[in-house]
Amino acid sequence: MKHYLKSIFKGKLMILILSLTGFTTLYPLIWMTYTSFKTNQEIALNTFSLPTSLHFENYLNAWKTANMSVYFMNSIFVTVMSIMLTMFIGALAAFILAKFEFKAKKWVYSLFIVGMLIPMQAILVPLFIQMRTVHLLDSPLSLILSYTAFGLPITIFILESFIGAFPNSIIEAAIMDGCSVFKIFIKMIIPMSRPALATVIIINFLNNWKEFSFALIFISSDEHKTLPLGLYNFIGAYSSNYAELMAAMMIASLPVILVYFILQEQIINGMTAGAVKG
Amino acid sequence: MYLIFKNKKAIILGLLPALIIFVFFVVVPIFRSFYYGFFEWNGLSAPIFVGVENFLDIFSDKVFWLSFKNNIFVVLASVLGQIPLGLLIAIALNKKRKSSSFFRTVFFLPMILSTVVVGLLWSTILNVKVGIVNKVLEKIGMIDFANDWLGDPKIAMFTVCVVIIWQFFGFYMIIFLAALQNIPDEVDEAANIDGANGFQKLFKITLPMIWGSVMSAVVLCIAGSMRTFDLVFVMTNGGPFHATELMATYMYNKTFAVYKYGYGSAVSLVIFVISFGLIIMSRKLMNKNETDM
Repeated sequence: MKHYLKSIFKGKLMILILSLTGFTTLYPLIWMTYTSFKTNQEIALNTFSLPTSLHFENYLNAWKTANMSVYFMNSIFVTVMSIMLTMFIGALAAFILAKFEFKAKKWVYSLFIVGMLIPMQAILVPLFIQMRTVHLLDSPLSLILSYTAFGLPITIFILESFIGAFPNSIIEAAIMDGCSVFKIFIKMIIPMSRPALATVIIINFLNNWKEFSFALIFISSDEHKTLPLGLYNFIGAYSSNYAELMAAMMIASLPVILVYFILQEQIINGMTAGAVKG
Repeated sequence: MYLIFKNKKAIILGLLPALIIFVFFVVVPIFRSFYYGFFEWNGLSAPIFVGVENFLDIFSDKVFWLSFKNNIFVVLASVLGQIPLGLLIAIALNKKRKSSSFFRTVFFLPMILSTVVVGLLWSTILNVKVGIVNKVLEKIGMIDFANDWLGDPKIAMFTVCVVIIWQFFGFYMIIFLAALQNIPDEVDEAANIDGANGFQKLFKITLPMIWGSVMSAVVLCIAGSMRTFDLVFVMTNGGPFHATELMATYMYNKTFAVYKYGYGSAVSLVIFVISFGLIIMSRKLMNKNETDM
């Protein structure tokens, strides 16, 4: 009987811990959501209260006056371009590393893998100097190229092990039919790698959409800023306009939250698998 | 037949694009920071060679050591905060409850948000004027505990660490959950038959069986928290009075606020060596532990 009571208590305790942690995790995000529909007076009057009516103008103002539309488009452009570039050259390199035989193979592979351990901050300053030397500062290209460079290790790592599992015989059969190596890559390897490519696209999408440090030091003009950097501007310019700030943060977060709700399993598996094996 | 897999042209053309971008934007900068670390350079005039002076300056700068100490503090707080919390939640969720998948979704959610969003959101939440934290304390009659959470040098670092834990513990929860699900049910049943209680099960069975995952989580946690920059930069920018200064914010402020590129490069190199060393060391320790088991 005592044991029985104890286990009920423990079950209850666990539920309590879960609920408390869950509330602490979720409430700030819920608060951000409904505060984004309030007016600044309402916020000042009572932080907790729900909005009396939905003030969508916060979103309109953030989108237009606070330039979120520009940052949003820039984020999409930089993210999409860097994903495509990373995918293409990463898959190509992974194919070569997985299937071809050459002396420096191990060396090249390790070079990319060690790249996963390099903290971004350690090359922030020298990369800034480098970008300045090649006149890429304040251009979207500086972000696309550095996101690609930093996305390559995990991309190659995941794709190499996936492509490595393809039987050589199918590639040889395609060669017998007269396909060139490049054609095999486009027509066979890419379509067959679809599940692994999906994982890699998700990882790169999340990383690049969130990225702040590179954008902060490379981009100076407003027309090239991405969402995280644009949001950062709010600190100075709109420091007491909390309603609009919350709306702007919602605009920046909604795409990832939507993708997360749709592709939750792939996102969780992708983000942890890559990290654990790395 | 296998000649195709030794085709030199294909190998070179296939690897070149990835290698060029990676070497040019990751490898070369590291050597560059090594080179410029020995110069005094404001970014405009010609760099002046000063030998190891930058490094001597770094190691004699109190603020650098403060930032180093804070970095270690973040590492410790992350390892001692995120991993036990992640483990506890994972154990709670591992029991097949209806709500498990809901909680799992919730706990991982902060992970996918931009650190800038998290930083701004928590700055607002902790804000003295409209923030909810002080208001809650006021409502429940604990107004004495209300604080300027990010403005008081004595507590700012703790506050920052709580936000870091808030954002990232879900990641470790997922790692532990995956490991726990690999433990066969029979193990638990056998332990129950032998009359083991909850604590015995946790320390004698569960933990030893997922120890490998715990170790890799520690390594990931160390590497991850050494990278902390965005969150602190957005929330406090290293202030007040350097109370939350990290090596990365120190580097940023020394380089881009006062245009000391040579000095900044030297700090970059120091960060690189320290983080890399710490990561390699923790990996070595982890591998050693695994062979011991």
